[in-house]
Amino acid sequence: MAFNILVADDSETMRAVIKKTVSMSGVPVGEFHEAANGKEALAVLAETWIDVILSDINMPEMGGMELLKKISEDEELKKIPLIFITTEASDARREEAQKFGVAGYVKKPFQPETIKAILYEVLEKAYAHRLEENAGEENGEESDF
Amino acid sequence: MDEELRRVIFETFSEVFETMFFTFLEPLEEAPVREDLACGRFVEATISYSGGCNGSFLFYFPWELGKNITVNFLGVDEDEVQDGQVKDTAAETANMAIGGLLGKLDPAGKASLAIPQARVLADFSPETLLGKSNLCMFNTEFGILWVVGTHA
Repeated sequence: MAFNILVADDSETMRAVIKKTVSMSGVPVGEFHEAANGKEALAVLAETWIDVILSDINMPEMGGMELLKKISEDEELKKIPLIFITTEASDARREEAQKFGVAGYVKKPFQPETIKAILYEVLEKAYAHRLEENAGEENGEESDF
Repeated sequence: MDEELRRVIFETFSEVFETMFFTFLEPLEEAPVREDLACGRFVEATISYSGGCNGSFLFYFPWELGKNITVNFLGVDEDEVQDGQVKDTAAETANMAIGGLLGKLDPAGKASLAIPQARVLADFSPETLLGKSNLCMFNTEFGILWVVGTHA
């Protein structure tokens, strides 16, 4: 089972770097979707099944914190884990993000291993059953039917 | 610019360049003589912050430096890099560098960082920056990174 990942950052090159990092992490990726700000991210979420969001905070039109708040207000969207990848790492920002249910926090600049570790941690917590199915498929186990 | 601020700037910028671009910065105490200044195509990136403390920084990347950090950032070959990606990388460098700097100068997080901007300067001479008290210069394998900044 693969995961659909939404990457939200106003920098196109940073989005490409994050996608490449995630692709090399070993996490099974279904589709990548991209957004340049929170508003575009919400538009993607309205039309596409997304399993995890990787978002910057400082973006034009709608920043990541406002995106997180909007998601937290929706019964379905709030089930999707959101990880911030951002330069803004003050205690005040982290506390604000935790108040609205952020799943993880990565400070830029980052090592690829940091992204990998937090992605696995968040996905295991949110989708343990799907990761187990994926491991079972790799081991050649047959499903019941 | 006081020495403590210069030291923090060097530490923070080095972390960004080494972590994301595998590029080392060497702080320069003195500018090269005018005859040795490399002029030509540069990328200028600007970013500011306000609230609690205020500041603005301009970064001047020689084109070769901008291109090479983009190559390393994206993990692609040099001939695959587009001009727009070099500009974007410069803007994101300013974002990470000053975001990191603010994290040390403003640990309470009262200041807000603006969206960085970048533009290509077809024919720029860093001579115009010489003599500024708030100038920092960093030597790299691909030319000098010039940074002019104010923080209050």
